[in-house]
Amino acid sequence: MTFFGALFYILAAVILVSTGLAVSSRILMHAVIHLIVALLATALLFFLLGAPLLAAFQVIVYAGAIMVLFLFIVMLIRPVEEPRPRSRRLWRLAPPLVLAGVTFAAALVLVFAEPAGTGGRLELASASPRELSEFVFREYWLAVETVAFLLFLALAGAYYLVRGTRGSPDNTEEP
Amino acid sequence: MIVPLEHVLVLALAVFLMGAGCALLRRNLIMILLGVEIMLNASGIAFVGSSLAWRELHGQAFVLFIMGVAAAEVAVGLALVVYAHRRTGRLDADHFSKLRE
Amino acid sequence: MVQSAAILALILPLLGFVFHVAAGRFVSRRTVETAACAAILGSLIGACLALAAGWGQAGSVTLFPWFRAGDFAASFDLLLDPLSLLMAVLVGFISLLVHCYSVPFMRGDPGYIRYYGYLNLFVFFMLAVALADNLVFLFLGWEGMGLCSYSLIGHWFHSGERTAAARKAFLVTRTGDVAFLIGVALLFAQGVDPSVSSIQAQAASLSGGTAALLGLLLLWAAAGKSAQFPLLVWLPDAMAGPTPVSALIHAATMAASGVYLLARLFPVLALSPTVLLGIGAVGTLTALWGAASALAQRDIKRVLAWSTLSQVGFMMLAIGAGDPAASMFHLIVHAIFKSLLFLAAGCLIQALGEEHDIFAMGGKLRHRLPHVFWPFFFGVLALAAVPPFSGFWSKGRVLSAVLAQPGAGYTALALAASAAALLTSLYAFRLLLLAFFGRSARTDALRPESVPGSMSGILWPLALLCLMAGTLDLPGHWGASNWLTGVLASAPGLPHGPEGVSEALVALLDSALALAGLLLALLAYGPMERFFPRIPEGARLWNLMARGFGLDGTYERILARPYRSGANLLWLRVEQGLLETASSGAAALLGRASSGVRLWTTGRLSTYLLMLLAGLVLILLIAAGMRS
Repeated sequence: MTFFGALFYILAAVILVSTGLAVSSRILMHAVIHLIVALLATALLFFLLGAPLLAAFQVIVYAGAIMVLFLFIVMLIRPVEEPRPRSRRLWRLAPPLVLAGVTFAAALVLVFAEPAGTGGRLELASASPRELSEFVFREYWLAVETVAFLLFLALAGAYYLVRGTRGSPDNTEEP
Repeated sequence: MIVPLEHVLVLALAVFLMGAGCALLRRNLIMILLGVEIMLNASGIAFVGSSLAWRELHGQAFVLFIMGVAAAEVAVGLALVVYAHRRTGRLDADHFSKLRE
Repeated sequence: MVQSAAILALILPLLGFVFHVAAGRFVSRRTVETAACAAILGSLIGACLALAAGWGQAGSVTLFPWFRAGDFAASFDLLLDPLSLLMAVLVGFISLLVHCYSVPFMRGDPGYIRYYGYLNLFVFFMLAVALADNLVFLFLGWEGMGLCSYSLIGHWFHSGERTAAARKAFLVTRTGDVAFLIGVALLFAQGVDPSVSSIQAQAASLSGGTAALLGLLLLWAAAGKSAQFPLLVWLPDAMAGPTPVSALIHAATMAASGVYLLARLFPVLALSPTVLLGIGAVGTLTALWGAASALAQRDIKRVLAWSTLSQVGFMMLAIGAGDPAASMFHLIVHAIFKSLLFLAAGCLIQALGEEHDIFAMGGKLRHRLPHVFWPFFFGVLALAAVPPFSGFWSKGRVLSAVLAQPGAGYTALALAASAAALLTSLYAFRLLLLAFFGRSARTDALRPESVPGSMSGILWPLALLCLMAGTLDLPGHWGASNWLTGVLASAPGLPHGPEGVSEALVALLDSALALAGLLLALLAYGPMERFFPRIPEGARLWNLMARGFGLDGTYERILARPYRSGANLLWLRVEQGLLETASSGAAALLGRASSGVRLWTTGRLSTYLLMLLAGLVLILLIAAGMRS
């Protein structure tokens, strides 16, 4: 167990725990905060796995923009949490747990069935931002343009959806 | 030399399943979206790990695009949530059952 | 000349039928009736011409071929020998009289087109049986007669009883027809061409066993059509049809066609003495059965029906005794007097307003309807075989043929036949006395209406013939020759009858029997009846006789009722229970399955997400399964 191996396991534990907390949290704000923690740990994981640019993007875009957007909406809407019925808690969880277990088992079979082409452990390596960028714009320039267009569409759609409801949240005017 | 690729994939799988569980079991619309984000994140982990394993940059490029798409999707999704909340005042997924025939 | 006349005789009634079917609705009633009678008249003329022109010779005509299957050929062939032409003349004559009688008899009936059409068609089919050479053509006529009989018995089809009688007639004769087909197949398998002429030529080539089997099959077929034991149950019920139909079909033609078939195919029967004895036994048994049952009937038509099958039994006995000429003689004579009796009965029934019970008739009828009484009287005298009426001569021929055969079996048959003759005379005079003498048992007054002259007028030629028809075949020692026997002997295949019994002895026996019957009847039913013990008309034995000794009831119990309950069971349990439930159950299952599937469309987001992921899981499972 090398240093980086131990680091990987620590980060993995952090991701798993905080994602679990995010999923099971009853209060929406807490769930979002937990997820932010998980995403930051993921960014560190990316850095460990040799993708520094992606780690930066993870922090800036994912944790910084998307999650903040979630926070904004949660604070804006102030949704009311419906109380979960406590009595039938366990019984309701059974089918999803079974399903999850089955899926996990099947996927494990898939993962471990084939002998890994690389064999052994991952080698440490790092892709510098320059390398990644050159690669992306060389191989996937069309995808880049498409994603840009997609973002523009999302912007337009979001604007349209919210445009009609001007004024206070109590406005019930038809858009 | 850190860990075998399988371990990375197992991590990604576990996070994916947690995200799927969140999307299925929670009835609040925002929590469902959160579950989707978790799933996307898990797939990103898998991609980066595989990219390191094969010494190819395709995986990393794909994670870039995943992030872009996730951003777009969250924008529209949350706009929809706001709209739904403005119209009905509720965020319960079971409430919006107009798709039923 | 012979051939074209014969073809004309055959075709005209068929054309009559076609005319009635096609145009009957568009022309007046008069036209329909006239066309029917004209067709039969033309047929009769054709038959007479053919008989006269081709006197003593045999010829054949091929109309056109029908179908071939390998070596087996069916075609519309006619065999024109004295036997067939004589039969054609008889059929034409009786049919003509019945057609002319039907015109006033059915004067109010709305279904007249159907009636005359089927009547004409029936004559065509009977002529086909009489004239046919090819056995398949004969079978066509055979079956066709069954069809027309069914339609005509059930002419007044609104009554369930009458249609049941028609059905019974059809089904019972059908069982005989199966034997006919098997016989034809057997003949063909033996390498004999299925036609009458080849049978007459090649009969000797058949082995003994085959001939016996064939004989039995033919006997069964004839028994069906001629209402012999054990297929006799349909004829009394067939009286549900109009009286002219009973006169034509069930007295003169169809009932006798079984005998005619046996006479035609006699060379086969002659090969097996056992079969001949069997035929004689069946005939005698039926003669006794019919005579005893006729004695106990109250309905005038049922008396005549039982009488018919009894007399046909005599004809079968003659064939069994090896004398088909005697059988044909009795056939002709019987056709005349039986149709006379039926037609006169029809006059009586109409005059009394549909009264069938002879106990309701009485002496008043004799005074009011003398023009019906005297022909009826002549018919009864012929039936009872009183000399010098025709029945005396023909029954004498039959008895002498039986007595001429050696062997204990034939002696027994002769005794039984004599008993049957006594019974015949007895019931005949009983009928006469109850119908035209004595007091009526009806509580209200008997008020007979007058009968149309055209109906009663037809009775006179028949009555005359009753007296004169004996001259067809007077026994040798009276000075006139055996005319009929001589004529028929020239037809191929009919042998000379047995000789050797004293004709005078038989004549004496016959007259004695007839007179004894007359005496007994006078004692029991005549003016002196109060001096003698009453006939137990209500006793158990009498009721049994009235029901034909329970044969019909037995068939009902062992055949009809289990079949009906079996059919009911199949309908209720199997068809409704199983099949319909299965098919509607399958439909219901489908419905339930689809409503079960419909539960998935909840409209809830969580459900749809679940399904998405479930599909993903499934794919993963399959992939994992393929890998491992």
